[in-house]
Amino acid sequence: MKKIFAIFLLITSTSFAVKSAELKFVCYQDINECDTIAEIAKSWESSTGHTLNIETVGYEVVREQLENQLESGAAPDLARVTNLGGLNKFYLDLKPYVDSSYWETNYGATLPWYRKPSGDDGIYGWQTQLTVTGPYVNVTMFEDAGVDMPEEGATWDDWADALREVKSELGLTAGLALDRTAHRWAGPAFSYGAKFHENGVPILVDEGFRKFSEVFVGWHEEGLMPAEGWPAGAGTSYRNAAPLFLDGTVAMHMSGSWMLGNYDTNITDFEWKVVPIPCGPGGCGAMPGGSGIVAFNSTANPEAAASFINFMAQTENAEKFAASTSNITAHQGLQKSGIDYAGVSPNVAQGLAIFAANAGKAADTTPQAYWFQGYNKNFAIYGIVPDYITKAITGEMSLDEALAAIDADVAAKIAE
Amino acid sequence: MTENFLNLNYWYFITFIYLFIGFLLSRGVIGSVTRVMSIIGWPIELAQRLSGTKSLPYLFLFPNILIFGLFTFLPLFMNFGFSVTDGESINFSSRDFSGSDNLARIVLEKQIDTGIENMEDDKFKAAIADTFVFVLFQVPIMIVIALITAIVLNREIIGRAFWRAVYFYPVMLSPVVVAFLWTLILKRQGLLSQILMGWNWIDEPIQWLTDPSWTMFWSVLIYTWANLGFYMLILLAGLQSIPRDLYEAAEMDGTSDQRVFWRITLPLLMPILLVVTVLSLIKAFQAFEELFALQVGWISLVSYIFETAGLRGQKTTFGLGIAAMASLLVASLLILLSLLQFYLTRRQVKL
Repeated sequence: MKKIFAIFLLITSTSFAVKSAELKFVCYQDINECDTIAEIAKSWESSTGHTLNIETVGYEVVREQLENQLESGAAPDLARVTNLGGLNKFYLDLKPYVDSSYWETNYGATLPWYRKPSGDDGIYGWQTQLTVTGPYVNVTMFEDAGVDMPEEGATWDDWADALREVKSELGLTAGLALDRTAHRWAGPAFSYGAKFHENGVPILVDEGFRKFSEVFVGWHEEGLMPAEGWPAGAGTSYRNAAPLFLDGTVAMHMSGSWMLGNYDTNITDFEWKVVPIPCGPGGCGAMPGGSGIVAFNSTANPEAAASFINFMAQTENAEKFAASTSNITAHQGLQKSGIDYAGVSPNVAQGLAIFAANAGKAADTTPQAYWFQGYNKNFAIYGIVPDYITKAITGEMSLDEALAAIDADVAAKIAE
Repeated sequence: MTENFLNLNYWYFITFIYLFIGFLLSRGVIGSVTRVMSIIGWPIELAQRLSGTKSLPYLFLFPNILIFGLFTFLPLFMNFGFSVTDGESINFSSRDFSGSDNLARIVLEKQIDTGIENMEDDKFKAAIADTFVFVLFQVPIMIVIALITAIVLNREIIGRAFWRAVYFYPVMLSPVVVAFLWTLILKRQGLLSQILMGWNWIDEPIQWLTDPSWTMFWSVLIYTWANLGFYMLILLAGLQSIPRDLYEAAEMDGTSDQRVFWRITLPLLMPILLVVTVLSLIKAFQAFEELFALQVGWISLVSYIFETAGLRGQKTTFGLGIAAMASLLVASLLILLSLLQFYLTRRQVKL
């Protein structure tokens, strides 16, 4: 009897031998990013013997639940995140595991977004894509209305005039829609001269910000912007204006390059294209951004996690990822040499080129955009601006009160 | 450690150890079936042997108390903790004690950290005011409709069971499903606007859920629709508990129906009506899921707490503490309401 038990014990206990690492990767996708990563990671898995378990979740899970998981110690090993600065105290520093010079050369512009504000020079994540904000336009509507689209370098006022004509010719509900977040608002605000910060300290309401707020509220009052865009949200809630563009409510949607794949697949009944970012007295403002894959310092397999991120950041894999997901790459070498987006529709290829150009214009004329993207409390500001601007639009507050409230609320929310 | 739990071999090992202990402990048991039961159920038998018959019931209650304590009392204490501490993390080790600072942040006009105007108190007061209006309309309307429905469904009508099911059905729907259904009707391209435009009552679609003049109306209506059946059922039970002979006596005296209602039905229904009123008041103050899923144009109290706590993904430095303090303030209000209920029903019993 005892012998049998002893043998049984032996058999079951040997199965506890340590295997190669199993990494849990929480990923969200706009269209097919996680599936593409799974494909590319196969060769990494076979060469290192580690396993990558990709958990594809909705964006809200990453946005809302990940931070709580990190604080309570139930975090995954890796995640694809967009709140790059906000989570920086949880990141694993990859510097000991990767070739710093390669990373600095090819990702130097986006590495600061992950770092802590003061004197941090670690390498924390691979920027999967560079997203840029910019408008999409319904070409069919402009053609039907017989209105010429403004050229490159036109201002927001020029576009507003054109949209007014299109709206009245075709009897549309509205002309322009913006997603309900200060992330989209920032681009036009920069064009009107908003600086958003002074030496790293956020100051929101300056001359340019005020000017654009007046213009923006005016657009709503005259009906150029729809009531189910910004005014339909309560408080800081986010509203995506893509459904309004898709069903023909508006002729122009201020969104960003992440929607390219989505629009390419889903728009079948009208012609659309991406137009260069409109300009203004302050420059041609667009917000850069994008998500990155990071490893967390609570991981049990730092080497494996770092090895995976490093693998994805290599030139050929970055190129494969960008081409398969129709995204702009953050790899600076590839940005110069160009990516062959083979098999991508002409709309998407043209869109990618224009968005990349938007990023360049923003870097030259409105560098505060890059600061804002890297600011680690920008997520709070994204919600505060729509909250009070909506109240100004619906008449609950006067615009002056709303602007004062924005300043007060931002100050309270970022106070230490 | 966590990886072990997912490893099936670990569970084989644990099961083996468990059965081995059972085997050792059941040495004295005669009979093969009894022996097997002893091997499997040795923790229960051990507990019986150790605790004796008197304290055995408490032992059975223990798991429930544990779970109840874990999921009800622990969050309560954590909430107290959050309300008197500062910091972004939910982990107490990274939070600093701050006393009544959060109360100051939510109530005072001047923001204590920046010295300029405080926006939080305006938001909190707006949430209280809007929720108050919501409750003020929703509860009486729902109680009246529930009472009338209960009275009608208490009579001998054809298909009574079917109608009872119809009125109770929305209660069983998840709040998100309720919101989704009504969004289909109330959105811009939804059923209601299309029908009204077809009848030429309106020229262009109305944003029923976000238009400031309509949003409260539809919030009340949808919330009432979703919760009516539950209270109707309670009132129905109350109606059926009124003795039949009272009605027969009234009929023999030739009392009018109206007098029967006001003099017999209502007074005898009063205790249950009070319970239903206070229950629905408390529930209405906590209204959140339907309203959140509908994306209505006003912010309710729980919605305010939800958002301020950073549960929507936008964490702020003091948000969690402020939200915790707000929830404590709301809780004290609801406790007052419950005490009122106790007081009122006790008086009724004495009567």
